[in-house]
Amino acid sequence: MRLGDPPPLSARPAPLGRADGAGHARGKTRRAGPLSGERLSPFVLMAPAVLVIVLFRLWPLLLGVNFSLTGDGDRNGVAVGLDNYVELFADPLFLGSLRNVGWLVLLLPVAVAIPGLLATFIHLRVPGHRFHRSVYFFPAVLSPVIVGSIFNLLLAFDGPLNRVLGVLGLGPVDWLGDSHVAMFTVVGVHVWATFGMALVVFLSGFATLDPALLDAARSDGATLAQVIRHVIVPGLSRTIQFVSVTTMIGMLTSMFGLIYVMTSGGPGGSTYLPEYYIWIQQGQMNRPAFASAASTVLFLVMLIVGLAQVSFLRRTGRED
Amino acid sequence: MKQRALWSVAVAATLALTGCGSATGTSSSDGTSGRLVVWDWKSGDKTATAYVEKAKADFAKKHPGVTVEFVAQPFDQYYTLLGAAIQAGKGPDVMMFNGGGQIRDRVDALVPIDGFVAPDKQRLTGWDAFTKGGKVYGAPVTLQGYPIYFNKTLYRKAGLDPQRPAATWAGFAADCAAITKATGASCFALGNKEGVGIQFFLSAFGSGILTPQEYDSWVAGQRDWTSPHVKQVFQLWKDVSDRGLNSKGANSTTMFTDAFGIFQSGKATNIIGLMSDIGHWKDFNEFLGPDNVGVMKSPVITEGTTPSLPFDGGVGYAVAKWTKDPALAADLVRSLTSTEPLTSFYADAGAVVSDTTVQTSDGGAAISAIVADLKTGKPALHVALSSKTIELMGRLSQQILEGTVSVDDALKQLGESDRS
Repeated sequence: MRLGDPPPLSARPAPLGRADGAGHARGKTRRAGPLSGERLSPFVLMAPAVLVIVLFRLWPLLLGVNFSLTGDGDRNGVAVGLDNYVELFADPLFLGSLRNVGWLVLLLPVAVAIPGLLATFIHLRVPGHRFHRSVYFFPAVLSPVIVGSIFNLLLAFDGPLNRVLGVLGLGPVDWLGDSHVAMFTVVGVHVWATFGMALVVFLSGFATLDPALLDAARSDGATLAQVIRHVIVPGLSRTIQFVSVTTMIGMLTSMFGLIYVMTSGGPGGSTYLPEYYIWIQQGQMNRPAFASAASTVLFLVMLIVGLAQVSFLRRTGRED
Repeated sequence: MKQRALWSVAVAATLALTGCGSATGTSSSDGTSGRLVVWDWKSGDKTATAYVEKAKADFAKKHPGVTVEFVAQPFDQYYTLLGAAIQAGKGPDVMMFNGGGQIRDRVDALVPIDGFVAPDKQRLTGWDAFTKGGKVYGAPVTLQGYPIYFNKTLYRKAGLDPQRPAATWAGFAADCAAITKATGASCFALGNKEGVGIQFFLSAFGSGILTPQEYDSWVAGQRDWTSPHVKQVFQLWKDVSDRGLNSKGANSTTMFTDAFGIFQSGKATNIIGLMSDIGHWKDFNEFLGPDNVGVMKSPVITEGTTPSLPFDGGVGYAVAKWTKDPALAADLVRSLTSTEPLTSFYADAGAVVSDTTVQTSDGGAAISAIVADLKTGKPALHVALSSKTIELMGRLSQQILEGTVSVDDALKQLGESDRS
């Protein structure tokens, strides 16, 4: 690029033009030395980003890990080695919260299929599709606390849903008070509250789908199921992957509000997630170091899930 | 693309940092003698305005040059925020605490105030909940107790005499059955979603099941979780539920405030409520009428027991270790527990205050009964437990109601937690 003399001058006219005599002289010496502005500029440009990451991400992370190796209460500040981790993995409550993370991973296909299917209907222009589109998106703008409160009322033992079930002759279900049901209830509400965003992503994915393919399938007499299976799913594979990743992240990181409002981790600790566990240990039990240990484990879990998804994405990306 | 991501990280981090800064920055004190910062979760309430104003005025008389700043924190975040302040070693000079486990777990961050509050020892009651290892770390503002409230209207509808509630468990259960038959109201309004129902239950009925010796040694820390009487408390918790005496869906009903709502709407005959804050005599008076709210002590469930009102110091103020002048901060605590402000707090919020000289004769039958029972009252059983055991008990109580954990297994776990 820069072969002749003029480019350096013309590339940086402003500092030279604005600088006074002294500045001019400094500029000259800088350019002459080994640490010339030319060589420094990439570092200077990188510095804010690197500093921000190191100062606000990596350093606190290391502090947290270090803190998790100390004790609480009487042993405050004393190095205790891996005691916190040993206790953590002996606590059935924490193991239960990790098991619930496993449930979230298993429920992911459902959480992706629902917006995918509804987007398909909208794309295929079912009657009232414009209306449906806005209605489906509406819950996405509500805060989890509001959503949780609404569903607390709807799902109460003597609430409207159970009354409807009663009219149909079905026994009442304690949606939030039965440990076998509560986790699925909360996940269901979470999916209801957040699928609007995934739906929008799916709809934009449909925009890239070749309508000629759909028309061809239809004129060949394909059923709806066959259209979905052989045209829509292959055509939207990238969109499906993207929605899977974002939905998983959403389920792992933003369920706290719902759990806090809807079940408080109950009944019997059956709806604990690691986040909630950390909050209880830090806020209610006054055990910050122990909570740090739980945070470190949660970080590792997220790292594994995240890396697995990235590698999955990369692999399927290469196929394209 | 990557650059943009980094920038958004930078912006988010900056926002988070300034966010944290504003949460603690404005309220943290440099500890100079000219200014005292108080953290609590009450001073923002309308019903506490007069209380805070009067306490400030009382303090200003003694220390005209010192400004006092109240920072009302949201209660659900209170101990999280306080934990961060304690971790940082700086924060408010004076702070509010719940008596019992919440303050005892944090005495490392507090100054013993025995020497400063000695003149108030007689006038105020409820000190035990703010005491650890023989040292007083906080002065009680309110008393918190767990009376059994009952709806007199329902008693009358069933043809029972509300002036004479049953004194034995058999009689109590028979009354409940009669009322349910006549009115359809369940015996108890129970909310155990937060795991609080069992705490109230243990304390309200404990004095009717445990012998006085067992009761006193429990409070003193000698807890025998294998004793037949302790088992009976938890067995009763299960039996009451199995026999359908509780309002439905207890595990998905909040004590605060759905269960109180069930009682207030006349759908349940009894509820174990509170003495101060919410779910107390004043709330119930408003809904049911002062003449229709009754208070009873636990019926006698095992022979040879003397039921008493379980109560402790409710909330109180303590002095932080890092304050520059503990004597000054303790003086503020004394102002916050002086008679005139506490009288306002009783009148406005309906709190049963720690000051035994505050007149309560105008509040109706329920408050009169509570105040009369204070003399023979004893510390509540659950307040003696650590927050860890309390939390475990909450979860186990839900599992007992569900039938997924047996009473014996629950007691075994609780005993282990209590010993560790």
